[in-house]
Amino acid sequence: MIQYAAIFLFALGFYGLFVNKNIIKLIVSLNVMEIGLFLFIISIGFVSDGIAPIVSSVDDLGLIYVDPIPQALVLTAIVIGVGTTALGLALSKNIFDTYHTLELDELEAIQ
Amino acid sequence: MNIILLIVIPLLVAFLSILVKKYQMMLLIFVALFNVIILFFLKQGMIFVGGYEDELTHNLLGITLFLDVYAVIALWVINGLILVIALLNIKSYQTYGTILLLAMAGLNGLVLANDLFNLFVFIEISGIAAYLITTSNKKPVSTFKYLLYGSIGSSLFLFGIVILYAMFGTLNIVIMIREIEALNDYRQLILPFLMMFIGLGVEAKLLPFNHWVKGVLGTSNSLSGPMIASVYMAATTFVFGRLITNLFQFEGSLLLVVTILLTVGILVGDLMAFSSTKVREILLFSSIAQSSIIVLLFVNGLVIWAVYLIIANALSKTVMFLVINHSVQKTNDDEVESLKGLFSHNLLVGTTFTIATLSLMGLPLFIGFIIKLNYLTMFAQQNQFIVMIVILLASLIEGIYLVRLLIKLWYPGDQKVEVKYHLAFKVVCVVIALSLLVFGTYSNPLNKLDHNIDEISEVVIHG
Repeated sequence: MIQYAAIFLFALGFYGLFVNKNIIKLIVSLNVMEIGLFLFIISIGFVSDGIAPIVSSVDDLGLIYVDPIPQALVLTAIVIGVGTTALGLALSKNIFDTYHTLELDELEAIQ
Repeated sequence: MNIILLIVIPLLVAFLSILVKKYQMMLLIFVALFNVIILFFLKQGMIFVGGYEDELTHNLLGITLFLDVYAVIALWVINGLILVIALLNIKSYQTYGTILLLAMAGLNGLVLANDLFNLFVFIEISGIAAYLITTSNKKPVSTFKYLLYGSIGSSLFLFGIVILYAMFGTLNIVIMIREIEALNDYRQLILPFLMMFIGLGVEAKLLPFNHWVKGVLGTSNSLSGPMIASVYMAATTFVFGRLITNLFQFEGSLLLVVTILLTVGILVGDLMAFSSTKVREILLFSSIAQSSIIVLLFVNGLVIWAVYLIIANALSKTVMFLVINHSVQKTNDDEVESLKGLFSHNLLVGTTFTIATLSLMGLPLFIGFIIKLNYLTMFAQQNQFIVMIVILLASLIEGIYLVRLLIKLWYPGDQKVEVKYHLAFKVVCVVIALSLLVFGTYSNPLNKLDHNIDEISEVVIHG
């Protein structure tokens, strides 16, 4: 079920990228899309009744754990996503300082 | 020496170079030189960094890097071209040294990665460096669009990877190829492969995922033009080739869709270049057509000729973008009409530009001819006559607009165009032009390598 929600969120972000013309809204849409993707990745590693994949003692060896690899992937992907968002926001500030607008339609007309 | 040095050293020096801003470019040149030299001494094979071997399945869990002849060629092209571009921009783009070091680490990692998630990470690292390189164009809107398209592409690539992980429980390319062979049902793989193809297609400038290219390369300079059109395109197409040859192995309806996309890309790219009146646009649309041809060669298993085409294209485009961007920076106008007679006072640079252009067109005596002749012969042997006709038609269009461009750049118009090129610039252009000419007339070294330079399939079979 969570996977459908994640795909819906991904599709929503993707749709936002096509319909929005404001740079900040585009960055937000990109983030929504990425969050949908991250949720999807996490859902891949989910195991029913599984616990966090941290072995703290010998007694824990028989327990069921969720798959740790998707979690590691998502951690890395989140960091990359934050970097890209920061760069996008820096560029948007640069654009606003130069052209005094964040609307892509107006920016294309100016250029 | 360990192959991981090719990634670690540029990354480490990129951080250190922030402390010594004045010497960023010098550090970049030293690292690029170091990388080019150690490539002679590195032992080929697979290395395993961190992680462990699963006792039950004997699968390697962790980071694996793979160096074979294919990767060595790619690394020479990438590091060699970055060295040349850094040398020519040492004064004009001093503050971009750190970014170029980051790009070098990302691109080297991209070629060496034998793990799909690492491939994604290196795509992002090199992507962020590419966005920063394009800020030198002073066109933040174009850079933003590039960032947007690049991020969508890499998200789709990651989506494809995750679906494959969910299906096979591994990210290691070699193990995944074995699992795919065992599955023997291509229909289940169409969605992830298509997503990954689109993701890489954005970076490789394939139609219709290349909306960002016009803004970025149409306003490029002597740093961003050669970096994006030559180095990034070479690295991305090398990775594309690796994945297409070993992992994707397109078949059925997906093969048909991809072939149609690529053949349309070749024709549309050349037609757009034909209809353009701006020099940089002509070159960028020509790049779009060339990258489609390269990917089409990989799709049809013509690995070695695709590799030679990547190298020849990267060398030709480096000379062409360097010459044109240097001239446009001086004249502030990239209309072909405004650059009439550019070479009438710059015979040496004009000759090197002409050699690069004629090689790109695939005329006899130049390396482009040998490559084009061989891949067209192979297409004929495979009975791919429609593809052959499309490429020949595209070559005809390409020939017309490139010859038209050369005539305008050689013969003076009403206005006198005077652009001076420094000695280092001329030396680089001459060396590249000579290499295009030498391998065009003496092709024996090219015949030594065959389609088996990509050795991942060997590892898949023999372990």
